[in-house]
Amino acid sequence: MNPITQNRRHYEDLAVGEVIDIGHTTVSKEMIVSFAREFDPFPFHLDEAAAKASLLGGLASSGWQTAALSLRMLGDSFLNTIASMGGLGFSDLKWKKPVMVGDTIGGTATIAGLRRSRHHPERGIVTLDFDVRNQAGEPVMSMRLANLIELRDPSVPLIEGENP
Amino acid sequence: MTRWFEDIVIDEVFPLGSHDFTEEEIIRFGRLYDPQYFHVDPDAAKFSHFGGLVASGWHTVTVGHRHMVDALFAEEERLRALGKEPGVSGPSPGVNKMEFKVPVRPGDTVTYTLVVTSKRPSNSIPGWGLLFNTLEATNQRGELVYHAELVGFSKLRDYKMPLSVRLLMALTRLPLLGKLAARFQ
Repeated sequence: MNPITQNRRHYEDLAVGEVIDIGHTTVSKEMIVSFAREFDPFPFHLDEAAAKASLLGGLASSGWQTAALSLRMLGDSFLNTIASMGGLGFSDLKWKKPVMVGDTIGGTATIAGLRRSRHHPERGIVTLDFDVRNQAGEPVMSMRLANLIELRDPSVPLIEGENP
Repeated sequence: MTRWFEDIVIDEVFPLGSHDFTEEEIIRFGRLYDPQYFHVDPDAAKFSHFGGLVASGWHTVTVGHRHMVDALFAEEERLRALGKEPGVSGPSPGVNKMEFKVPVRPGDTVTYTLVVTSKRPSNSIPGWGLLFNTLEATNQRGELVYHAELVGFSKLRDYKMPLSVRLLMALTRLPLLGKLAARFQ
């Protein structure tokens, strides 16, 4: 038994279709510039004039910052409430619209799939469809995440056909 | 890599350099963006299946992105030094696939490598092309840390705007016809 996660929701407690409200966060110019300096120092993430002349049309956050801020919201609203064993990765990440200075982003994560690991009976895999929007309700980012989660009772045999 | 779209060679390998991950920066990134116990608390992390503190996958990925941006700037410098005009890189529309393989632990050295696997002109943004890149990160033991399939924009050098587009752009500058013409842009 893992003392850190024993009172959290486990694989058995989740259901496909559950919608998690991840809350929201407002992105300031200072946040954009300091993240860009460290991880994404393109002029269009650092300088207003360069940003206006770019495809973004104005100072906008790094896509990786939008992702990191969304991950933080998902952590607070979901990952730290379940017996998470870490992420496996993601697919179809789309940055649909730039996140501009002063925008408030938030959204939902929907449980799209649940399956057990074939090689590790104590592990399950939860897939989440992430839909992040700005204050106008316009989609800014979407992706499908895969995350490992502990089973409460790994002794329950894996039923053939359970995993599509 | 800050080359014009036409000058990008498919399957050319770009070494992006290495990064040493310290416990301090793993925890700092974790606290800001991914505060799960195995990313922020070395003692609690012992109870996880990792058996100790590991970096958030998103941390190793954003550091990899920084290495790619630095490589773009270095290529720009190299071309200027040769008296050539560098191309223009644009923002990324997305990531097709990201697979976290082996976790990164404090003291690990991660080496990043980029390969442009294919390219095509953009259908939605005239004058720009799309690059499909594979970025792989390996640790000091040669184990794959992550595999990413990224998409990026790169500007075309030889793009000539069609007459119809130029005409529409000119019309949008006129006070009355402008609003009408803007609808067709």
